[in-house]
Amino acid sequence: MLKFAILALALILSGLAGAKENKKKLSEVYSEKGYHYSALNEYFIETFRKPITVGMVSRLEELLYYTGIEILEDYEVQLLKKYPSSSTRFIIGRKAYQKKNYKEALEFFELMHPDHRFFPESRMMVAEIYAKQEKFDKQDEATNTCRQTAEKLENTAINKKIKRYFRMINEICLVNRARHLFNRGKFQESIDAYDKIPKKSYKWPYILLEKAWVYYQMGDYNRALGLLVTYKSPLLNTYFFPEAEYLTALAYFKMCLYDDSLTVIGQYYDSYRPRFNSLSAVLKKNMKSQDYFYNLMFKPGEELEKHEEFVKQIITRLKKQVRYSLDFNTIHKVNEEMREIVAKEPLKEQKRLVPHLHEVKTNMVSKINYNAKSDIFQFLETVPFFSEELFKLNLETISRKKDLVYKNKKLIADRSRGDYSNVNRSRFEYFWKFHGAFWADELGDYSLGLKSNCRAVRIEDERR
Amino acid sequence: MKTLGLFLGMIWISSSFAQETRTIYEYKKYERFDLGNLEVKGQLIAPGDISVRERERKRFQLELYSRKDFNPFIRKDMESIR
Repeated sequence: MLKFAILALALILSGLAGAKENKKKLSEVYSEKGYHYSALNEYFIETFRKPITVGMVSRLEELLYYTGIEILEDYEVQLLKKYPSSSTRFIIGRKAYQKKNYKEALEFFELMHPDHRFFPESRMMVAEIYAKQEKFDKQDEATNTCRQTAEKLENTAINKKIKRYFRMINEICLVNRARHLFNRGKFQESIDAYDKIPKKSYKWPYILLEKAWVYYQMGDYNRALGLLVTYKSPLLNTYFFPEAEYLTALAYFKMCLYDDSLTVIGQYYDSYRPRFNSLSAVLKKNMKSQDYFYNLMFKPGEELEKHEEFVKQIITRLKKQVRYSLDFNTIHKVNEEMREIVAKEPLKEQKRLVPHLHEVKTNMVSKINYNAKSDIFQFLETVPFFSEELFKLNLETISRKKDLVYKNKKLIADRSRGDYSNVNRSRFEYFWKFHGAFWADELGDYSLGLKSNCRAVRIEDERR
Repeated sequence: MKTLGLFLGMIWISSSFAQETRTIYEYKKYERFDLGNLEVKGQLIAPGDISVRERERKRFQLELYSRKDFNPFIRKDMESIR
């Protein structure tokens, strides 16, 4: 009888222990309900004091697959180091890269798994580090790995947004390579790399300006002007850069087409500068706001009504950025989770979970607000710089014209007209004349055919 | 007596040498030059024609901005992802 009692007690105790072991953790319960952000928070509360096991790391990766890593950006590096997963290594490496601690960045990026979804992005930063260290072979190797892995992941991506993210990484790796080739004076190789970017790419409108600079440095001013004229097409009217206006005026100036140069400068001063200045004044008033620029992304507001078209152009560009898409997606998912909790959970549970989610949302709003603000002001800061450069160019153009008068000379032609013979093209390029209409498939392939007007002749000689 | 006379004579000579001689210089208070009547003797060696050497007008050329690297674009792209 006693034996039986002892056996029964042992069975009960082992059953209790098993039940305790099988009892699900709160983070797992939240995960099952689809409350991934709450689960992630709970996961850290449950694990940060314990020794981390392989299972715990896999679980973290699983949670981050749903939440993304944006909310871990503010976490302490020491805490993240406790969890040796590819995602945390990516975040730590990225933070080290931002602090220019390249040794640590490389160390953490090298520990990432090659099949991990952030691996291509990590290779992009590795390529940049090697470029800064002038280890160009390693830079090329990292760029190629970045492109190959991004392409592979793009092909297996489950939705359009993720596909777009990998496409973007692939293209940035390629564009950065072209940029570094330009920095090293390898202009033709740089152009060849730029030409690999397809026209339907999100990056493509931006690289027109860069390609124009490469052609300018090669001395092909006609091709530079042809690329810049693409921004005048109706399809690209949201892309306005003061630098493009400056480069246009400069290219005309280099070809001694002074009147054209002065026309471009005049248009800039009459049209764009006043608009920039008034826009800048309105935005500066709201510099310290925590959500003004976030709200601006959805509605310009009364103050900016008269600049609406212009603001819309800047905001459209911001919205096309990957980080905006990722951050806004996080806010959307957090909102969804809050709605679910409020609808389905008892009040006690709501009070436990909702404040944290509110905090996550506020942080993301502040982040978008900050990014939008810094992007807008970085853009607006280019205006005074190029206004000054255009002013200097204006003075120089007038001075050159004055010199001709003093020397009793004039340029070979008052206005050199375009001619096919002045177009530099490779044997693979065809030629069509421009008839006043922009065709989408032709955009970015234009070249002006202007003859350099830099030969001066004496006016007396000309009269004879 | 002769010796006394010689002695007195010597004293007189030495005292007359020791006496300071005062010289007063006087300058002309006014002098007139008649440049028209001045004649210079010599040969004229200046060139017959007036020639001015042509000189390039001094110009201060402004240094115009030309982009040498794309580093700001690289930085911006890296930031635009996250």
